[in-house]
Amino acid sequence: MKRLSKIHRMFKLHRIFIKQDLKRLMEYKIDFLTGALGMLVSQAVELVFLSVIFAQIPSLEGWTFTQILFIYGFALLPKAIDHLFTDNLWMIGYTIIRKGEFDKYLTRPVSSLFAVTVEKFQIDAFGELFVGFVLLGISIPGVSLEISALNILLFIVALFFSTFIYTGVKLITASVAFWTKRSGQIIYMFYMINEFSKYPTTIYNKAVRFIVTYIVPFAFTAFFPASYFIVGGNPWYNIGGTVVMAVLLMSIGIFLWNRGVKAYESAGS
Amino acid sequence: MIYVENLRKEFKKTIKEPGLKGSVKSFFKPKNEIITAVDDISFHVPRGEILGFIGPNGAGKSTVIKMLTGILTPTSGRCEINGQIPYKNRKNYVKEIGVVFGQRTQLWWDLALRETYTVLKEIYEVGDDDFKKRMAFLNEVLELEDFITSPVRTLSLGQRMRADIAASLLHSPKVLFLDEPTIGLDVVVKDNIRNAIHAINENEKTTVILTTHDLQDVENLCDRIVMIDKGKKLFDGGISVLKEKYGQSREMKFVPVDPKAASKLSYNAEFGLSEDELSLENDGHEVKVRFNSGLISAERLLNYTLSTLHVKDINLSDADIEEIIKGIYRSEVKLDA
Amino acid sequence: MRKILKIYKPFTHAGVLLAAQYRVNFVFFILGDVLRCFINYFLWHAVFKSGGAETFMGFSEIDMVSYIFISFLTTTLAYSDGAYAVGEEIRDGSIAMRMIKPIRFDLAFLFQELGERTMSLLLAFLPLVAGVEIFRFFATGRFAFNLWFFLLYFVSLVLAYLINFYFNVCFGYTAFVLKNLWGANFMKDCIVGFLSGGIIPLAFMPGWLGTALNLLPFASLTYTPVMIYIGKLDGIAILLSFGLQIFWLAFFFVLQQVIWNASVKRMSVQGG
Repeated sequence: MKRLSKIHRMFKLHRIFIKQDLKRLMEYKIDFLTGALGMLVSQAVELVFLSVIFAQIPSLEGWTFTQILFIYGFALLPKAIDHLFTDNLWMIGYTIIRKGEFDKYLTRPVSSLFAVTVEKFQIDAFGELFVGFVLLGISIPGVSLEISALNILLFIVALFFSTFIYTGVKLITASVAFWTKRSGQIIYMFYMINEFSKYPTTIYNKAVRFIVTYIVPFAFTAFFPASYFIVGGNPWYNIGGTVVMAVLLMSIGIFLWNRGVKAYESAGS
Repeated sequence: MIYVENLRKEFKKTIKEPGLKGSVKSFFKPKNEIITAVDDISFHVPRGEILGFIGPNGAGKSTVIKMLTGILTPTSGRCEINGQIPYKNRKNYVKEIGVVFGQRTQLWWDLALRETYTVLKEIYEVGDDDFKKRMAFLNEVLELEDFITSPVRTLSLGQRMRADIAASLLHSPKVLFLDEPTIGLDVVVKDNIRNAIHAINENEKTTVILTTHDLQDVENLCDRIVMIDKGKKLFDGGISVLKEKYGQSREMKFVPVDPKAASKLSYNAEFGLSEDELSLENDGHEVKVRFNSGLISAERLLNYTLSTLHVKDINLSDADIEEIIKGIYRSEVKLDA
Repeated sequence: MRKILKIYKPFTHAGVLLAAQYRVNFVFFILGDVLRCFINYFLWHAVFKSGGAETFMGFSEIDMVSYIFISFLTTTLAYSDGAYAVGEEIRDGSIAMRMIKPIRFDLAFLFQELGERTMSLLLAFLPLVAGVEIFRFFATGRFAFNLWFFLLYFVSLVLAYLINFYFNVCFGYTAFVLKNLWGANFMKDCIVGFLSGGIIPLAFMPGWLGTALNLLPFASLTYTPVMIYIGKLDGIAILLSFGLQIFWLAFFFVLQQVIWNASVKRMSVQGG
C-alpha cells in the first residue's frame, strides 16, 4: 500500500513537469519546431543514405531493406523514450555536479536520482519517436512478423527493458562525475556506441560484436529483440538477454550513483 | 535538539603543476593534498534558538551546514539532529528540515512560483488542508501574492529569496538552515527577510541556523553566535557576552582646527595606556582614537582632548561587532567560550 | 598583412589556450565521433561483400574506406563554430559592442578559431592520416600515399575551412529571427553534412542532382578535398574545383560583409 502511494506520487510529479514542458512548448512554438525538424532531418538524411545503398544491392548480408528499416525503427524507440525521461543525466555530467547544483536534490525527501530526472521532460525526443513508429509502420507489412498476443507482450517487454539499457549506460557514465566533477564527454563516448545497434551486428567483426553485445550492450536495444520478431530466434537469448542486461546495467548504475552521492563534495564555499 | 561533536571534514585536492607537462604528469600520477575544511567542531543548539554562524570566506561555514543537512558526509565526528543522523537516513531526515542556499535558488526556474509549491507539496507529501493553511501563513509572513503567478526566472532577488524561504518552510520543518539568506539584497529587503525569520521562529519555535557575512543579521536575529575560521571554532556564546568581553572598545573621531596641533596629543603617555589599549590614527585631517572604555572613561579623554586643542567636530561611537570580529581574527586569540 | 597578423595574433593565442584547456574533452568527443566512421566502415564492407562487384558506382572498397575516414577528418578540421558564436552574441545583445571596437569582428573570430583548430590538427590529423595510409598499404600491398595529392588536399582543406567559416557567420545572423540556436544549428549541420558529401560521396547521387550538388558551395566543404586526397580528381578537375572553392569563399565573404553592414545600420537606427 505504501509502495503504491509512492508510485502514485512519482507519477503525479512527472505529470506536473510534463504539463509545464508542454506549456513552454506552446510558448516557444518556433523553437520547438526547429528542434523537432532538426531531429527529423537528421533521420531523413540517414534514410536517404540507406536507400542509396539499397538501390545498388538486393540485400545486405542477407538482410533486406525492409528488415533493416524495421531494426532501424525499433532502435529509435527505446532511445527516444530514454531521451524523453532521463535527459537531465547529461547535465549531471556537464554542469550539475561541477557547479555544486546537486546540493538541492539532496535536500529533498525523494531519491536523488528521481529528483534529478523528473525535472526534465525532453520534448525533442518526439522527433525520434515519430520516425521510429513511422519506420515500423512502413516495414511491418514487408517483414514476416506474426502479430500475436505473445509477440505484442514481448515487444512491450523488449521496449521497456531496452530503454533501461540506455538509461543504465548513461547512469554509470554520469556517476563518474561525482568523482571527476565532469563526465559529459565520457557519457557521450559511450552513448555514441548505440549507433552500432541500428544495423544487424552480423556486419561487424568479432571484436565489435563482442563489445556491443556484452560490454556496452546496445545490441540488445535493437538488433537482438528486433531480429527475434522478424526472423525468429531464441526468445530467452534475444529478449531475455535484453532484460538481463538492463537489470545488470541499472544495478551497477544505481550502485555507482549511491556511492557517488556519498563521495559528492559539493562546490565552493 | 542539535548535537555536534568533533565534526570534521577533509577534502582531497589534486595539485596540478602548470603547463602541458604538468597536466600530463598529474593525469598519470596525481598528487593529492588533504585540506581540512572543518576541524573538530562541537556545539549544541537547544530547540527554538536562532544560531548565527559567522566567519570569513572559506572558513568552513557552508561545509558545516552541508554536513548538518545531509549533503556532505563527514570525514569523522558526529552530528545528530532530532535524534537523526543526517547522512544516514537522508530521505527521512530532510522531511524535518528546511534549507535555503542564498547563492542559488532551489525553485524550478521555468515554473510559475505557484507550480513550484505544488511540486513541493507532492514531494513532501503535505495534505491538501495543511497545504492551504500553510500557504496562507507563508503568504502573510513573506507576502508572496504579488508574484506567485510569475515564473521564478522573472523574480527579483528579494522576491526570489522570500519565495525560497517559503519553499523551505512549506512542510513545517523543525529546523531551518539558511546559508547567506540576505546576500546581495538591499537594506529594506534585508529587513523584511529578518522580520520574517523572526516571525517564523516565534510562531512555531522553529530552530534556525544561519550563516552570514552581514553582522546586522547577527545583531538583529541571533540569540547566539558561533564564530569559525580556518575550520576551527573561535567563539561560541551570546552576543552580549561577546560585546561585554571584547566590545568595550569605543571610538572617538574629531577634526582639529589646526591639523598641526594634533601632534601635541599624547594619550598613551598621559593615561599610561599601551598601544593595544588605545590607538591613534591621524590622516592629516581627521583623527581617530580607539580606546578600551573599561580602562579609561570617555569623559576624561574628551576633557584632555578639548583642553589640548581646538576641534571643529567631535564624535563618539560604540565599536560594532564587525570591529570586534575583525579584532579577533587579527589577533587569532583563542577565546574561551 | 603583417599589421593584421600583429593585431589578431592575441586571438589566435587565446584560441590555442582555450583548446588546450579542453583537450581531454576534445579527445573523448573525437573518439565518440570516430565510432561512427567504424560503423560506416563495417556497413560498406558488408555492402561490397553483398554486392559481389569490385566497385560500387566507381568506388573500390579501399576508395570507400579512405573516403569515410578522410571525410571525417576534413569535416572535423574544417568545422566552424561561427554560427553559434555569432548567434549567441546576437541573442545576448553583445554584438552591438562589436561596433565600437576598432577591430573586424569576423577576423577576431577567425583568428581565435584558427588557434582552436591547432589542437584538432595536433590530435586528430596524424592518427587519422596514418591510419588510412596503413590501411591502404595493407589492403593494396603498396604505399598509396601521394605527397602531391596530399599537399593539394591541404590547400583545399584550408579553403574549405574558410568557406565554412564565412558560411557559418552568415548563418549565425539567422539568430535575428530564430531563437533556438541549438535546433537551428543542428538542422543546418545535418543538411550541410549531407549536401557536402560528408555522409555519402556526391558521385552516388543521380545525374542532374549530382551535378547540381557539385556546383553548390557545400561540395567545397568536404567532397572536393576528400576527392583530391584519394586521387579521384585529375589535374584540370583539381584546378576547376580550386576555382570553385575560391569563388564560394569570395561569395560568402562578401555576403557576410553585406549583412554586417546592414545590421550595423539597423542597430544604429533602432538601437540594437
